Amino acid sequence: MAGIRNRIRELRAQREMTQQDLADRVGVTRQTVIAMEQDKYSPSLETAFKVALALGVTLEQCFQYEPRVGRG
Amino acid sequence: MPSLSYREKTLYASLAAEIVVYGSYFFLHRQNSINKVAGMIVAIIVLQIVLQLIIALVTRNRVTDERDRLIELRGYRAGYLTVCGLMVLGLAMLWFHAEAGNINLENHRVGLHFLSAFFSMLVIADITKTATQIVSYRRAL
Repeated sequence: MAGIRNRIRELRAQREMTQQDLADRVGVTRQTVIAMEQDKYSPSLETAFKVALALGVTLEQCFQYEPRVGRG
Repeated sequence: MPSLSYREKTLYASLAAEIVVYGSYFFLHRQNSINKVAGMIVAIIVLQIVLQLIIALVTRNRVTDERDRLIELRGYRAGYLTVCGLMVLGLAMLWFHAEAGNINLENHRVGLHFLSAFFSMLVIADITKTATQIVSYRRAL
């Protein structure tokens, strides 16, 4: 999968927020939150900012980019 | 069905409607006619409207987001590629049979066979589109 990792699950748990709560705040479906938490879906920049804002952290604290090794 | 978004539910309903209507048209009817083609189109529209209405009524959260749009585009891409591939295949077969002298354009049923063939291509592309979207949802994208 893509080299973008996130700490959504961890940050959400710290705030005792459900997936549905976060989805409602960001304006996405709960299934999209699940996909993001499993690193199966990399959101758009706008949604990434909204997620970080909803969790009260900066974008860098929520999302990290890990360059892939061994691919051109 | 647990943990399905509104869009996923509508896709399963669409696929079921497509299989029921198109399946009964292509596998149960041996003779093609304009009336049956028209009946199929009316049946799929009516069934889709009824199913979408029921799903909309029983689903409280009808939010759609960027992932839904991305999956929708992916489905349309698969459908477009399918219809293009089938068109090329169909034209190649037409050319092959024309060269071999197997096509008798004097026969009045040839037009209906062409109509049925083109509908088959659209049906296969439509089912491919819906199936691709369902698979994308199941794989998270």
